[in-house]
Amino acid sequence: MNEENTIINLENTNIFQGGKCIVADINMKVRSKEFAYLIGKVGSGKTSILKTLYGELKPVNGIAKVTQYNLHSLKTKHIPLLRREMGIVFQDFQLLTDRKVYDNLLFALKATGWKKKDEINQRIDETLEKVGLPDKKFKMPHELSGGEQQRIVIARALLNKPSLILADEPTGNLDPETSEGIMNLLFEIKNEGTTVVMATHNYILLKKYPAKTYRCIDGKLEEITETENAIDFDALQ
Amino acid sequence: MAGKGNKEEKISKRRLRSSYITTIVSLSLVLFLLGLIGLLILNTKKLSDYVKENIGFSVIVEDNIKEVDLIRLKKNLDASRFVKSTEHITKEKAAETLQKDLGEDFIDFLGYNPLPVSIDVRLKAPYANPDSIEVIKKELSTNKEIKELFYQPSIIDLVNKNVNRISIIILLFSALLFLISTALINNTIRLSVYSKRFTIKTMQLVGATRNFVRKPFLLTGILQGIISAIIAMMLLSGIIYIAQKEMVEIISFRDIEILGALFGIVLVIGIIITFTSTYFAVNRYLKLKSDSLYY
Repeated sequence: MNEENTIINLENTNIFQGGKCIVADINMKVRSKEFAYLIGKVGSGKTSILKTLYGELKPVNGIAKVTQYNLHSLKTKHIPLLRREMGIVFQDFQLLTDRKVYDNLLFALKATGWKKKDEINQRIDETLEKVGLPDKKFKMPHELSGGEQQRIVIARALLNKPSLILADEPTGNLDPETSEGIMNLLFEIKNEGTTVVMATHNYILLKKYPAKTYRCIDGKLEEITETENAIDFDALQ
Repeated sequence: MAGKGNKEEKISKRRLRSSYITTIVSLSLVLFLLGLIGLLILNTKKLSDYVKENIGFSVIVEDNIKEVDLIRLKKNLDASRFVKSTEHITKEKAAETLQKDLGEDFIDFLGYNPLPVSIDVRLKAPYANPDSIEVIKKELSTNKEIKELFYQPSIIDLVNKNVNRISIIILLFSALLFLISTALINNTIRLSVYSKRFTIKTMQLVGATRNFVRKPFLLTGILQGIISAIIAMMLLSGIIYIAQKEMVEIISFRDIEILGALFGIVLVIGIIITFTSTYFAVNRYLKLKSDSLYY
């Protein structure tokens, strides 16, 4: 396997939270332009693995690399730089509720070092166009529906043309039709060359949009290597 | 729909503004109190100096002193390091004063004026204490023209002791007030930062550096400090204006340097309090893991 193409490389790593081992002996390899699911029950450690990937938790032992950053030797001041390599999408959106959509995106751009006004405006228009909401630029987040807010979050994640999108249950708060819209968008993004790692427990979507799948179970992470039909969805549920 | 949105927007804006105003009001009141204490401290010095410089002693000269010698003696006293002013009290003047005090024409009664010629000496404030007066007394008693030195040690003692006690009480009181007020402002600021803890987390998650997150908070903090200091200065000016109308010998607008220093201190304290409180409050949430935000 070409090392340069590996975006996420976890080998024999453990994740601790509050002194307790959440997931042990993790082996996970995601190459660029790949789509990967993290599935498992609530509390099985999906979010902890994502948190490790964006530098909120520190892994213990083994190898842990995300893009060019080694998570073991990652210093506090480098965490913002790691996060600029990726876009993060949350179940609960986490938009800045006190400002308009435009200002949310503007803030993310300014925070990551964009200076020129016209470049900023151009990039905001581009990403809003991509998520299909060019006319919601000057709305407050609470004036948008859940699906629209999630699209704005995805737009925010895309602003810096990241090589990796981490999505933590992005469809968790949405109805099935809206969820499909979000999935279509995420796959579109993947097809344009961005790696997407998505944590979910929505197995219906998994069936409809098959991809590489890791499952968190009993404090371990296992890759489900069989073909789509071999996954026993009823057993998973 | 649009109307509803506007209304909600207005309410949330009003809520934000009211917390901002609360911080400014409490901070400016605290700065005003600190400034007032500062004024008081500056004035105790002035007042005690005033009282001290009005006490002094009488130099009673020999009865047969020549006019020239008397004038020379007065000039010598004037020139010495501890004297603020001197006044030549003639026999007639002394009699006049005593007559006023007694309310009786004693010269008529006695047939002559028994009062001696004297020089009233007013000391400079630093020398107006019993020890210095003892030394001065010794120094002057070598002079042949001086018959006697007359002063009331009890008054000087009383003034000195009270001034010291009052200064210490005021200082303790202001230190206490300063502690209470810092705690109060610190709390207000921490609350307003606490209300933005999720915003801080979101900023970090999109890749903002700590400095970038901190900057707007600190700028707001400094601005609040400056606005509060200006309000406090206006209140203080009002107090000084009223005090000047009602009383004399209080610090006046003419003491530009002292007033400037006082206002400068108020401003600096205001900025320091808001800056450090905001800095530590924001840092607290910058370091926190997102799980702990919900508690």
